[in-house]
Amino acid sequence: MSNAMLEIIDLKVEIDGKKILKGVNLVVPQGEVHAIMGRNGSGKSTLSYAIAGRAGYEITGGDVLLDGKSIIDMEPDERAAAGLFLAFQYPIEIPGVSTMTFLKSAMNAQRKARDEKELTTPEFMKAVRDAADDLSVDKTMLKRALNVGFSGGEKKRAEVLQMALLSPKMCVLDETDSGLDIDALKVVSEGVNKMRSPKRSLLVITHYQRLLDYIVPDQVHVFSDGQIVESGGKELALMLESKGYAAFDNTAA
Amino acid sequence: MNKVSGNNFGSAEQELVKQLQGSGDELALNMLKKHGLPTRRLEAYHYTDLKLLLSKVPQLAEKNQASSKKIDAAIDIPGALQIVLENGSAPELPALPNNIAVSKNSGSSLKERDDIIVALNRSLVTKSLHFKFSGTTDQVLHLDWRNSAINDSAAHVLASVSLELEPGATATIIETFSGSNHEHLANFGSAIIIGNGASLTHIVVDLTSKKSTRLHTIEYEIGANTKLHNLLINSGSKLSRTQVFSNFLGEGAVGEYSGLNLVGDGQHCDITLDTIHAVPNTISNQKFKVVAKNSAKAIFQGRISVKPIAQKTDAKMMVQGLMLSEGAQILNKPELEIFADDVQCGHGSTCGELDEDTLFYLMSRGIAREDASSMLIRAFVQELLDPISDEGVNKALSDIVEKWLENTQDSVV
Repeated sequence: MSNAMLEIIDLKVEIDGKKILKGVNLVVPQGEVHAIMGRNGSGKSTLSYAIAGRAGYEITGGDVLLDGKSIIDMEPDERAAAGLFLAFQYPIEIPGVSTMTFLKSAMNAQRKARDEKELTTPEFMKAVRDAADDLSVDKTMLKRALNVGFSGGEKKRAEVLQMALLSPKMCVLDETDSGLDIDALKVVSEGVNKMRSPKRSLLVITHYQRLLDYIVPDQVHVFSDGQIVESGGKELALMLESKGYAAFDNTAA
Repeated sequence: MNKVSGNNFGSAEQELVKQLQGSGDELALNMLKKHGLPTRRLEAYHYTDLKLLLSKVPQLAEKNQASSKKIDAAIDIPGALQIVLENGSAPELPALPNNIAVSKNSGSSLKERDDIIVALNRSLVTKSLHFKFSGTTDQVLHLDWRNSAINDSAAHVLASVSLELEPGATATIIETFSGSNHEHLANFGSAIIIGNGASLTHIVVDLTSKKSTRLHTIEYEIGANTKLHNLLINSGSKLSRTQVFSNFLGEGAVGEYSGLNLVGDGQHCDITLDTIHAVPNTISNQKFKVVAKNSAKAIFQGRISVKPIAQKTDAKMMVQGLMLSEGAQILNKPELEIFADDVQCGHGSTCGELDEDTLFYLMSRGIAREDASSMLIRAFVQELLDPISDEGVNKALSDIVEKWLENTQDSVV
C-alpha cells in the first residue's frame, strides 16, 4: 500500500457540547478515491468541516494527518496551503468580490505560504483560461461576483475549477451531487475525474449511490451515528442502495 | 437656572466668546451666551454633545502667519485642477479654464441658520471664494484644504467657499481636508447652488489628523432637472461633524447622497443629513455605510422632509454598518417627515459583523483571515465608489480604503 495522504485517527468532535463524531478512523492512501456514504444527520458534513478546520467544531480527541502531518492545530488557510481542499455542499455567494480577484488571491496566498513565487497577471490569466476550457466553464461566469447568481450546477463547476487551479493533494467533496440534475452531475463528475492522479487523493461524501456511478471509488465507507461502521469495495455502495442504511445501523448497534 | 449665564461655561465656550467679541457680529455671540454649546438635549446634537466633546478652542488662524512647514494634500488626483487652501485662504490661484470664474466675497457663504456651527462660521469667516461654472468642465476641481499650525500650536480655522453651477453646467468637485498633527479645530462651509439642468458630482474627503476636530456644513440648493451626486468619505479627525442641508427647489431633480465613514481608535464621526423636498417630482437616494473598529463611534442622522406641495417625491434612505470589534458603536437615526400623500419614502438600516461562514469559505481556499476580512470590507464599500466615473478620483478614493484596511490589519482588538 502506498503512503496515507489522509489519516483520521479516532477523531471525536463536539459542536456546542453535543458529540457528533464518536471516534472516526479512516485512511485514504495517496492516489486513491474513497467515498463516505451515510444518511442525513449521520455526521458526514461535520467530518468534512472538521477536516477543513471550521470554527466551532471542537476536537475532543484523536487526530487528522495530512501527508503524515497533524493539521488539527492549523487555521483553515494553513490547511489549504498544506494541500487540502474542501468542495462545499453549498458554496457561499459573496457579492462584491469578483471571481477573478478571489481566484488570484487564493492561488497567490497558497503560493506565498509555501514560499513559491506568486503568479503574474498573465500567468494567472492563462491558468484560469486553460482550466476553464478544460472544465467547459463559461467565461462569463468568471466575470461575475463569486457564486452570485450562479445556478446549482455553475456553483459546483466553480468549485471544481477552484480545485483544479489550487491543485491540492487531498480533495474532500461534500455532497457535490446535491442540487444537481443528471446532466450537471455528469459534467461535474467529469471535472472531478480529471483531477484523479496517482499523487492526489479524493474523499467523496454523498448519500446517494448515483454519484459513485460517475466518480468510481476505490473504497466505500458507511457512516452512521458519527462513526464508520462498514468499509468495502465499490460494490458496497450498490448493496447500500438496495438494502438502505437501516441494515448498517444494526451492525453499528 | 443653569444655562442663562456663562457661569458654567467650559474653557471652549469662554474662548469662543472671546473670539466672537472681536468679530463685530452679534448672532453667534448671542446664541452662545444664551445656550452655550449644544448638548445631547438638543435633538440635532443628541449623539454629538459638543459641550462635552469640545474641550478646547485653539487660537484663531486668521490674521496669523501659518507655519511654513509643508503639509501634504490628503490625496493626489492626477490631472485635477488643484487649489491649495491653507487655513482657509489661497495665496495664489492657478490659471483657471474659461468656464470657471472665481471671485472673492466678503463674509461666509453659508446662509443664516439656527445652528451654532453655522453661526460661528458666519461670524468669524471674513472672506470666501466663489467659483462659478458654466458649460462642461472636464477637469476635476480639487479644493485642497489644509490645516496648518501657528507658532507650532493648533489653530481654529474657519473658512467657506461657494460653488455655483450655472444652468446646464456639468462639473466634478472634490474637497479634501488634511492638516498637521495638532489639535486643530476647523469649521468649514460649502454653499453649493446647482442651476436648472446642471449636473454636479461633489466629493468630500476628511483625512485630517486624528487629533483634530472638523465641523463642516454643506448646503445644496438644487434647481429643476438637475443631477447631484454627493459622496462623503470620513476617515480622519478625532471628532467630526458633517452636516448637509439639501433643498430641492425645482422639479425633476435627482439627488444621490452617499457617504462612507471608516473609523477606529476613539474617533467620533457624525454625518447629519437634512433633505427638504419642497417641490413635486424629485428623487433622493441616500446610501451611507460605516465600517467601525475598536472604540470608534459613527453616527448617521438623516431626515427627509416632504412638504405638502411635494407630491410624487421618491425618497429612500439606507444605512449599513459593519462592526469589526465589539467596542465600536454605530448609531443610526432616520427621520421621515411627510406632509404630502402621493409619495414613496422609505428607510432601512442594517448593522452586523463580518459573516463567519463567508470568512471560513475564503480561508478554506488559502486566504488568511485578515486578507479575507479585507476582501469582504472592500466588497462592502465598493458599491459607493463604483459610480465615481473619473478614473483618477476613483483610484484616489480606493487608495483611501486600502490604506485604512492596511492599518486595520494591525490594529483590530
